[in-house]
Amino acid sequence: MSFSKSRILGCVFVFCAPALAQIQNQAEDGQWPMAAKNFASTRFSALDQINAANVGTLKVAWTFSTGLTRGQEAAPLVVNNTMYVVTPWPNLLYALDLTQPGAPVKWTYSPHPSASAQGVACCDVVNRGAAYFNGRIYYNTLDMHTVAVDAVTGKEVWKTTLGDINSGESMTMAPLVAKGRVIVGNSGGELGVRGWLAGLDAATGAIAWRAYAAGPDKDVLIGPNFKPFYQADRAEDLGTKTWPGESWKIGGGGGWGWISYDPDLDLIYYGTANPGPWNSEQRPGDNKWTCTLFARRPENGEAIWAYQLNPHDEQDYDGVNENILVDLTIGGRLRKVLLHPDRNARMYVIDRATGEVLSAEPFAHQNTTESVDLKTGRIKTVPAKGTGFKTVRDICPAAPGGKDWQPSSFSPQTGLMYIPHNNLCMEFEGVQANYIAGTPYVGANVRMYPGPGGHRGEVSAWDPVNAKTIWTAKEMFPAWSGTVVTAGGLLFYGTMDGWFKAVDARNGRLLWQFKTGSGIIGQPVTYKGPDGKQYMAVLSGVGGWAGAVVSGGLNAKDGTAALGFANAMADLPKYTTKGGTLYVFSLP
Amino acid sequence: MIHQSAIDAAGRQAAQIQGLFWFFIVLLGGIFLIVVALMLGPLFCRHRGLDREPLEQTHTPSIETERKLTHRVGWATGLTVLILLGLVVLSVSTGRSISGGNPPANALTVEIVGNQWWWYIRYLNEDASRVLVTANEMHIPIGRPIVIRGSSHDVIHSFWIPNLHGKRDLIPSHTTTEWFQADHEGRYRGQCAEFCGLQHAHMALWVVAETPAQFDSWMDLQLRPAPAPSDAVKQKGQRIFLDHACVLCHAIRGTTAAAEQAPDLTHLASRSTIGAGTLPNTRGNLADWIADPQNSKPGNHMATVALSREDMPPLLTYLESLK
Amino acid sequence: MRIAAIGFCLFALIGCERDRRELRPAPTRLAIFKDAARESDLQPGGVHSEPQVQNPYSGNAYAISEGQRLFSWYNCAGCHANGGGGMGPPLIKDQWTYGGQPANLFDTIVKGRPNGMPSWGGRIPEYQVWQLVAYIRSLNHEEPVTATPPRSDHIQQDSGTLMNKPGGGTR
Repeated sequence: MSFSKSRILGCVFVFCAPALAQIQNQAEDGQWPMAAKNFASTRFSALDQINAANVGTLKVAWTFSTGLTRGQEAAPLVVNNTMYVVTPWPNLLYALDLTQPGAPVKWTYSPHPSASAQGVACCDVVNRGAAYFNGRIYYNTLDMHTVAVDAVTGKEVWKTTLGDINSGESMTMAPLVAKGRVIVGNSGGELGVRGWLAGLDAATGAIAWRAYAAGPDKDVLIGPNFKPFYQADRAEDLGTKTWPGESWKIGGGGGWGWISYDPDLDLIYYGTANPGPWNSEQRPGDNKWTCTLFARRPENGEAIWAYQLNPHDEQDYDGVNENILVDLTIGGRLRKVLLHPDRNARMYVIDRATGEVLSAEPFAHQNTTESVDLKTGRIKTVPAKGTGFKTVRDICPAAPGGKDWQPSSFSPQTGLMYIPHNNLCMEFEGVQANYIAGTPYVGANVRMYPGPGGHRGEVSAWDPVNAKTIWTAKEMFPAWSGTVVTAGGLLFYGTMDGWFKAVDARNGRLLWQFKTGSGIIGQPVTYKGPDGKQYMAVLSGVGGWAGAVVSGGLNAKDGTAALGFANAMADLPKYTTKGGTLYVFSLP
Repeated sequence: MIHQSAIDAAGRQAAQIQGLFWFFIVLLGGIFLIVVALMLGPLFCRHRGLDREPLEQTHTPSIETERKLTHRVGWATGLTVLILLGLVVLSVSTGRSISGGNPPANALTVEIVGNQWWWYIRYLNEDASRVLVTANEMHIPIGRPIVIRGSSHDVIHSFWIPNLHGKRDLIPSHTTTEWFQADHEGRYRGQCAEFCGLQHAHMALWVVAETPAQFDSWMDLQLRPAPAPSDAVKQKGQRIFLDHACVLCHAIRGTTAAAEQAPDLTHLASRSTIGAGTLPNTRGNLADWIADPQNSKPGNHMATVALSREDMPPLLTYLESLK
Repeated sequence: MRIAAIGFCLFALIGCERDRRELRPAPTRLAIFKDAARESDLQPGGVHSEPQVQNPYSGNAYAISEGQRLFSWYNCAGCHANGGGGMGPPLIKDQWTYGGQPANLFDTIVKGRPNGMPSWGGRIPEYQVWQLVAYIRSLNHEEPVTATPPRSDHIQQDSGTLMNKPGGGTR
């Protein structure tokens, strides 16, 4: 490193020292024990061996074929020189021995999930990965089981049944293990499922608590310690009172997204999914507590605060996106906040101790909401873009939102948040949704298409203190992969046509890219190998909701296929076929 | 009280229509009688002129007679025009008075969606938990304006309760509004008034106008989910309902059946008819309906489900318990 | 002695059902299922020439339009969209995993399929299954154009993308 560069870097570090100090209480050990790397979900690695100067020489170190070709959304874990990869259905768990050349398979664990579960997975039969804790790997199977596998031997320790696919539910999310609880949530907002988040005892697999997203307070685990910041959220039994009849029982709100944990406050943070059906005229009322951010105690699941991002959601804006926990100086004082890029294209900065919304500015093009009233917390929607038994056109963002599940990352080095997002709009025709258990309960014909500019995706750098975009890189397809940002000043992400890219975290300049065999929708990770070298790993294998045209072999001539995504992705088959290979890169 | 009659008004809007109707009948009937009399008159009374004027002169009327005739025809025409204009003004103003203006603030809003061939009824409410979905039979309180927001799921229907108001079309992808008020208690039968397919003739709706207290207690009862089956027979009946095709289209709140393509059955036993007014709601008719829906209402969209002879009685007992 | 004899007989009887060999099966068991909906093109010993089971409602406009109604009522559209697929595979296609003949489609709907197609047998009455089969066949231009329902009104497509070719059908 030259003299001037080290000076610049030194200045950057000094400037950001407070932020750095707050985040990095977990020392960098070169491992990746959970999908988001750490409890704060920063997906930031302090490894800096690969940096802006040498990333141009990055090469493939080894590859591994999973043998499966549905969407690969998982984050590979690296613990104790072993890499753990979870595949889409049939949800195999591979343990790869990183100490041997070519990382051979140490063992494979097969949970044998029901093949019929593939019939209730809304958005490809993906799995977002596992979590490591105390010598075990924990992950979910599509057919409603959570398993604990011994990380050394690959033997099943316990397998708990969480639900029944005949009610339309499935599980795709990566668990979080906090305070001895394996925290998992169900999917199925498109199938009239009753959503929940549950905490299992990590040692035995017993269900310690289950918090539903709708229903009476005792089901939502709202008790005497519940102190929502806003007045409107304080009445009793809002989980039934804001729904007609018994529709909350089939109302959605699953916990299929990301969970963060603050050990000091002893709170887990997560959001609930969309209410069902998509045709909101069939469910008048605010539909609490769908599209809601919750703070709960990990041990018993009791709710401490909640904030509903999108009351009476009309565009499928699930609240499940990640919550990155950082301490920022806002308005002169240091605040413990969470950064939540919501589906409604607004970046929420929320005080994570109390649930107060500090700001909610758009990070992507949107025309469905006007503003968020910071006094009452209520979002003001645009009536012309409200849906129901009618056809509404030019709704931006489309149902996958400004950003869907694909996780962003935060670099304490630059102080910026890196958001992989979508640029899509949609037309929405509401039709009668008919509830038949185990089948879709949607009630909408949708067609999506590119947003303003014609590109369908973007990766941008966002300044959370000043609430603005610093730089953005346009992508042809939605940026559906996860991101990882390193102390080497690099941001890594993958595109749906198969490129794995490294860009300069400060200015977005493309520094390196490699064309993998299939589109990338997985979460890249970085780790230190047994030889002390830094490696990058990412799964290549297109699919997910955005890639269903390829992974499901859909007929894009029907634009409403894949809940409208087919219309926006009809050209994807020209750019990629199915795949399922893990790529690992290193410096020569 | 005639249950389905536009000339037996039970509300103020219907009274206005009824008033207009009788006014037209009386006035135009009177005019009709006068015209008939004027036509028949000359046939029976002898015209004086004929006696006095020679024959060769009568086929050409005299100038005086001409003038008299022009005078009289002129007056008659002028009078007719005035009467017709007057009737137009009266008609238009009645129409505007019954459909124009905003209903008072305490109106009860009910959404009516026409389906082939039944009525989906949803009572709206600011409080989402008091929104009620039912079918084919509507209760309303007297003395309170009722706003109807109408639409259709398939083809054009028309909402018509003759005792209470005129017709209002229900058009797919479009909302039409009317409001009315019942001033007398009673049971009024309504009818689809726009040809909508095979069973247009069997698409009737019952509106029960009752005191506000009775209405409130009806609403409270309807909002409750169906009671759990209280004995083994009803439990078996519920099991049969849930195991067959019924759950693909019908809902019974309080069970896992929540489909919305067909009438809500949560309080089926509280309704006086089945099949949208096609048959009285009795055990025998219910059995006939379930065993062969195409018998009483051929072409209707209810599937013919093969039920065994052992399954029908417990199912009927269960359905009868859904009060 | 008597007890031993009785015990021996009882013991022998237990083995009867299990060890029975039907060397000459009853005539009813000789029927060869020609009606079974074939899901493979391979027929060992040579290809038969007998026709497949036909859809009793083929070519019937009312049945096809009922099928169109049921396709959305029973949530087929939820997984298969308007023929393009989504959670489930497309229904407008040339390659059918389990066969695209009417009898195959009937089997698929009634029996379900291993990778996620639900089994509707016991719920949807048989005549409605045939109506659905007729509609799905009409989506693939396998029904007479005169019986095929007119284009769906749901969301008008650009002229470039498909769905509403003149003459009905949705290919």
